Amino acid sequence: MGEGKKTDALEDKVCQGSDSDPLKKRTPIIEVKNLYKIYKVGETKVYALGGVDFTMYRGEFCAIVGPSGSGKSTLLNMLAGLEKPSKGEIVIDKVHIEKMKENELVAFRRKRVGFIFQSYNLLKTLNAVENVALPLSFRGMPRKKRNEIARKYLKLVGLEKQMDHMANAMSGGQQQRVGIARALAVKPRIIFADEPTGNLDSKTTMEILKLMRKIVREQEQTLVMVTHDNHLASYADRQFHIVDGKIFKIEECHHHQEEEIEG
Amino acid sequence: MRTALTVLGVIIGVASVVIMVSLGIGLNQLMLEMYSSYGDMTTISIFSNARYSDSGSDSDPMYLTDEVMEQFKHLDHVTGVSPMLSCYALFKQGVYETSIDITGVSQEYLEKIPLGQGQAPKEGDPMKLIYGNSVIQWFRNSKTGKGYWDTMELPDVDFMDKPMFVIFDMDAYYQSQGGGENAPKPPKKYMVETAGVVEGGVDDYNSYAYSVYTEIEGLKAQLKKIFKKKPIPNQPTNKKGKPYPYFIYDNAVVFVDDMANVTEVQKVINDMGYQANSQMEWIEQSQQTYDIIQLVLGGIGAISLFVAAIGIANTMMMSIYERTKEIGVIKVLGCDMGNIRNMFLMESGFIGFLGGVIGLMISFGVSYAMNNFLGLGQAMMGVEGDISRIPLWLAASGVVFAVFVGMAAGFFPSLRAMKLSPLAAIRNE
Ligand SMILES: Nc1ncnc2c1ncn2[C@@H]1O[C@H](COP(=O)(O)OP(=O)(O)OP(=O)(O)O)[C@@H](O)[C@H]1O
Ligand SMILES: [Mg+2]
Repeated sequence: MGEGKKTDALEDKVCQGSDSDPLKKRTPIIEVKNLYKIYKVGETKVYALGGVDFTMYRGEFCAIVGPSGSGKSTLLNMLAGLEKPSKGEIVIDKVHIEKMKENELVAFRRKRVGFIFQSYNLLKTLNAVENVALPLSFRGMPRKKRNEIARKYLKLVGLEKQMDHMANAMSGGQQQRVGIARALAVKPRIIFADEPTGNLDSKTTMEILKLMRKIVREQEQTLVMVTHDNHLASYADRQFHIVDGKIFKIEECHHHQEEEIEG
Repeated sequence: MRTALTVLGVIIGVASVVIMVSLGIGLNQLMLEMYSSYGDMTTISIFSNARYSDSGSDSDPMYLTDEVMEQFKHLDHVTGVSPMLSCYALFKQGVYETSIDITGVSQEYLEKIPLGQGQAPKEGDPMKLIYGNSVIQWFRNSKTGKGYWDTMELPDVDFMDKPMFVIFDMDAYYQSQGGGENAPKPPKKYMVETAGVVEGGVDDYNSYAYSVYTEIEGLKAQLKKIFKKKPIPNQPTNKKGKPYPYFIYDNAVVFVDDMANVTEVQKVINDMGYQANSQMEWIEQSQQTYDIIQLVLGGIGAISLFVAAIGIANTMMMSIYERTKEIGVIKVLGCDMGNIRNMFLMESGFIGFLGGVIGLMISFGVSYAMNNFLGLGQAMMGVEGDISRIPLWLAASGVVFAVFVGMAAGFFPSLRAMKLSPLAAIRNE
């Protein structure tokens, strides 16, 4: 983390063990109640998640932190409706998603959710603009309009010059920027990111992280990011620490806005 | 590459189905052509059982008379009727002569005869004759007694430009030829004009080739004039041995509007008590045989198309397996499940379409080669004609079927793609 020193100034923040902020009136966007995920491996049951309760609010940047195998990805996938919970409730934007059928979940993701992958998952046969425009096409937007929007978001993530590059003719950092632009282009309420910087070097990691935080702040979106790195998690508004499928603690951090944006 | 091989499989499948079916159609139509060369397929020939075997009953036998013709004419689907009356006569031109039947038929029948030379007589014309294209073979030289069959040289007979003399009263003629001093004078010769000669060379067979035709009313008038009170030869007599006051025909033909109705009309006439025959009986029988042949041929082709379908299914499975991650990604991004399924259905349908179109083109090529270079039609049926025929409906249904097979083969793989878990996209390898 040699490069990390430059950003030390950013870590001038206050972290508290509480999860309430009486100063702001916040609207809940994700409510999780008593959530369980149990995998059956042969005869034995694996409790990937063993009873989780929490609420995430509109415009918040939440990090889910924990050691490997603690159930972070499992939780995120269930929040995004990619996996069914074994027990419990997930309410997103006042809608229960645990009861939805698969095609309803697809429609739900299309309307409200953006997703950023660890391995970028751009479609190799498409160029940057087409990749970003892809989720818009699932909404039935005409090509001209969606390409226009895609270009706008690519500019936002600083890829003016690489617009027409094919997906695999770009560096990892560039690909992840395309991935971010793709998640943002649909203007989702919530963006899920599972180790979005897992495959990037630390300098690029910082750039990407700040970019995500900046854009999400500007657009009042909720960002839920999974990471196993405590340092990265400290950039979030709140950190949800998970150990062995249970919430261990929720940490709240107050950052100084000006410095963050400078960085 | 894999897709190309799959398409190749479909090409072979479609081509074999189309070629096999085209052979079936070709054989069937060759057979129809063969029968139609024997005679018009929409005509029914009618005989009276009573004509030769006089029954002992009191009522008049069921002769074919003008009255009966009138009945036939009013049957459903019947467009025309022609009685047929033949009389044996001697033809003479120069040294050449022969005795053959003149067949009297209706004006309508005459007009159906395809002529190579001359024109069918018009209504009301004096008696004119139409000669079959092979009739010339019957003539023999009366001096040498040798004919075409002895010398293999065509007699020098000209129907169109030289006059032909005809003797109708054969009994009288034989008596006069009988020799002796009190032999009667030979009967009167009539010069009869020629209307035309049937289309085709001397050796080309058709149903008119060996006959001589004339308009029946003219023939009847002629016979009455010649025989006057004498009984006309070949006309039956009643119980008292007297001729009937009207003509009784040897047989008759009925023209039907469509091949499909021939069997029906034939049955009605049979039920009336006459003996009706048509080409349709034979055709229907052989049609059944050819239907089976076609089924077998089509089945052979279908097997290769089935193999191609398995190939498509396999390719689709592989392609879905390879794209598991992509499918997962677009599912996470909110692509409708139906869209994913349709995407793969379209792809397999397109493989089918491509294979169908190329397969069809190859079929046309093979079919052309079989028809033009192999002469299979001649070898198998003894008839000249295309053995492989690809009608428009076969071409169209070949392609449609290929698309259908492609989509059917892609159906289960595409369902699988649709149901793939989006988690596959997130898992890192
Ligand atoms: N499909 C599955 N079948 C059985 N067990 C599973 C399955 N998926 C996850 N698990 C188990 O659930 C637990 C949580 O897994 P999860 O992937 O959520 O961990 P994680 O916190 O994301 O770890 P990492 O940081 O390594 O990605 C693990 O013990 C894992 O073995
Ligand atoms: Mg994980």
